[in-house]
Parts: sequence; C-alpha cells; structure tokens
Amino acid sequence: MIVIGEKINGTRKRVAQAISDRDAGFIADLARNQFENGATYIDVNAGTMPQREADDMVWLVETVQDAVPEAILCLDSVNPHALRAGILKAAKTPMLNSLSGEQFRVDGVLPLACEFKTDLIVLALDDKGIPATSEGRLEIVRRLIALTRGGGLPDEKLFIDPLAMAIATGTENGNVTLETCRKIREEFPDTHLTCGLSNISFGMPLRSVLNQAFMVLLVQAGMDSAILNPEERDLRGITMAAETVLGKDRHCMNFNRAFRAGKIGPKSAS
Amino acid sequence: MQDLVNAVVDMREEDALSLTKKYAEEGVPPLEIMNAYKEALSIIGKRFEDGIYFVPELILSGEMMKAASELIKPLMAGGEHGEEGKKIGRFLLGTVEGDIHDIGKDMVHMLMEINGFDVRDLGVDVPAQRFCDEYEDFQPDIVGLSGLLTLSYDSMKAVVEGLKKIGARDKVKVIIGGGQLDEHACKYVEADAWVVDAVTGVKYALQWMEGRA
Repeated sequence: MIVIGEKINGTRKRVAQAISDRDAGFIADLARNQFENGATYIDVNAGTMPQREADDMVWLVETVQDAVPEAILCLDSVNPHALRAGILKAAKTPMLNSLSGEQFRVDGVLPLACEFKTDLIVLALDDKGIPATSEGRLEIVRRLIALTRGGGLPDEKLFIDPLAMAIATGTENGNVTLETCRKIREEFPDTHLTCGLSNISFGMPLRSVLNQAFMVLLVQAGMDSAILNPEERDLRGITMAAETVLGKDRHCMNFNRAFRAGKIGPKSAS
Repeated sequence: MQDLVNAVVDMREEDALSLTKKYAEEGVPPLEIMNAYKEALSIIGKRFEDGIYFVPELILSGEMMKAASELIKPLMAGGEHGEEGKKIGRFLLGTVEGDIHDIGKDMVHMLMEINGFDVRDLGVDVPAQRFCDEYEDFQPDIVGLSGLLTLSYDSMKAVVEGLKKIGARDKVKVIIGGGQLDEHACKYVEADAWVVDAVTGVKYALQWMEGRA
C-alpha cells in the first residue's frame, strides 16, 4: 500500500495556524510522524488565499523536506503558481494533487505534470460533478489518460482516484467506487489506484470501522494506494492483513516485519 | 396520530406509509397528516443533534415524508395552490463558486422544504452574480450559502457584497454552512449566522421567520 499522508492540510484549523505562524516544529512533527508510520508521500495543502498560497507552499515544502528528506512531497493545490513554486523548491520530483476533468485543472495542473514528469493524482470528476455511475467516471478517466499520454506522462505516474462518496447519502455509493476500481484496473493496468477513503463514512457513527471494511474491499478491487492518516493504527493493521491474505505479500514478510516492529496489532503485544 | 409519528420516528417505512393511507382514507385532513410528519421530523432532528441518529436517518425520513406528500397531494383541496399558500418563507440556496460539495446543501434543501419553505436551489459552483440575479427574481427571505473549502469564504463574501450593491442586504438574512466554518469566517463573510450541520441551519431559519411574523 502506497500511503499518501493527509495531515498537513491548511483547511484544518491547527495546521492553518501553524502555517500562518511559520511554526516549523509543528509541521515537521506532522511530517515525521506520518513518514515513520509508513507514508511514502506527504501531502501538503496550504489551504490559503490565492495571493499567499505560493509563499506558503514553498515554506511547507522546505519545512517538510528538511524534516524528512526521504519522503516525497505531494503538492495539493488548484493554483498553478503555487504548484510551480512548490515543484521548483522540491528536492525530489513531487506528486501533484490533482488533475480532474474540470477545465481549470486541465489548463493549470496537466501542463505542469507533463513538463516536470511528476506523479499525478487523477480524480474521476469534471465540470459537471461526480458521475453517479462507474461508467460515467470511467469515461472521464479515459479522456484524462488520453491527455496525459499525449503529454508524454507514462501511465505508471498516474494515481487514479475513483472517488468515494458518503454511504450515508446513497446505499450504492460504496459499490460504485469498488466497481470503478475494478474497471480501471482492467483497462489501465499500469496506473495506480488511490482513494481518500474516509469520505465513505461521512455522516455515520463508528467511522473507523466503516473505513476499515471499505479498505479491505478496495484492496481486493485493486487499490494499491490511499490518502489517509497514517497514524491510524487499526487501519494500518487491517490494510496489511488484507494485502497478505490476498497474496500481495510474498511469504507474508511485510505483515510479519510490521508485527515485529510493533507497527500493527495491539500495542502491548510482543 | 401518535402511531404515525412513532412509525416515522422509528424509521418504519412501510408502517408509516400504510398509516398515512389509512388516515387519508378515513378523511383526516391532509394538513393534519403532514403535521404528524413534521412533529416526527423535529424529534428526528433532535436525535440527530444528540448523536443518536445520523445522516441516513435524516435522508430516509425525508424520503418517507416525500412519499406521504405524494400520496395525499391529490386529496388536497386546491391542489398546488392550496399548498403554496402555506409556505412560511422563501429560501434561496446554493454552493458558492469554486466549490462543488453538495451533500450538506441537498440536505438543507430537503429539510427546509419539509419545514414549509419555498426553496430555490441554484446547484453547485454558483457565481455571486447569479445569486444576485436570482435574488431579484425570487425575493427570498433567507439566502443560504454552502461551501466546504477555505476558498469558499471569498466566494461567500462576494455574494454578500453583491447583495449590498443591489441594496438587498438589509432585507435578507444570510446563512453560511460548511464543515470548516467558524465565527471568524462568519465575520469575514458578514453573514448573519454560520452552521456546520443542516439541522441547526433550519433552526435558525425557523427562528428568523418567527421573528418576522
């Protein structure tokens, strides 16, 4: 599971405060904790007004890569200036979050991804919103992959997000996401599949249990990446367990190593 | 009709519908039946606030209410007009420009209608100018602006500025809704109220209309 750590997001109050105060220690801790808990990519979202976003993005990039030089940044913005500033500051080629069928993202984000050959999250929505059916989402993905291929970006660079909608508002919402995963996996086998899966449980009790069940099903549907809080220990355990029982963990070594390192299972277990 | 109220509150869809049918056939006035639903909805809203019910219960109760009103609409004297006369206020609603989140907005739409508002829903990613144009046309008592992104603050502010420009700001209440909102955002936007869930939003709206009556 390729984990994209979601915690450095300026729409969260405490993070917004840290960004405006230039509290590097706070951001560095968030980055380090996520990395140590298995995040390959650290998402950074400045979440600020357009005029300040490029400066904030550059500061976030510096702060995170000073704290965890081994991690790869995932620049989360709709603002091409902020994205470019972040890309130029990043020591390793970052991931961009994200392209979608929305025209302003096609115009603003796609050219940067192609120019710098970045990893790229691709959302299955467009100016008309999120299609209700998997076929509708797949059509958008097809259209966008034609564009990324045209721009010279190989499929392996793409992290397609089939989008999870709240199960609270539509009984079929989970199935639509899973079906979209399976279809993308079949049609575009070289792409990655990622997902901000916690949307599924919006408006529900016991959200973490629902998230865990959904994660298991997503893994079976071919998802190999997720945007989440890496510090959620139970979710990490269930994810690794799912991968192991589905034969994605040779000789179960990932699972057993994680156990020995105390990364999964009850905290007191040894 | 306590049995009907209970059926709705307990999410017993089939019982609620058959009781509705029974009362309608017995000649109970449609308005009284709908009042039973309203009473149920307010209990459900309370349970939502208390963390006993969640979003699915709100949605299902909205669907039950819709099914009931479709069932008894043909029985209503004067049809559409009779119903129109009972509206307690006009509510203009939309997700502001740059944002396409619609779960909260749709829930507000449903709950406001249930509570007797005439709702005009402009959809998502709605430019400020469109709110102002629709204001002139629809003359709402309340404007509801939805948005889940930090980016939305500026779009919300633009709507308020637009309402000022056309001299409407003093005549209308503006309420903003979204998970990340706070007092600070409300002041920045210059809205009359901010909420993070649909049920609280409806409470404000009802209070305002009562204040006017």
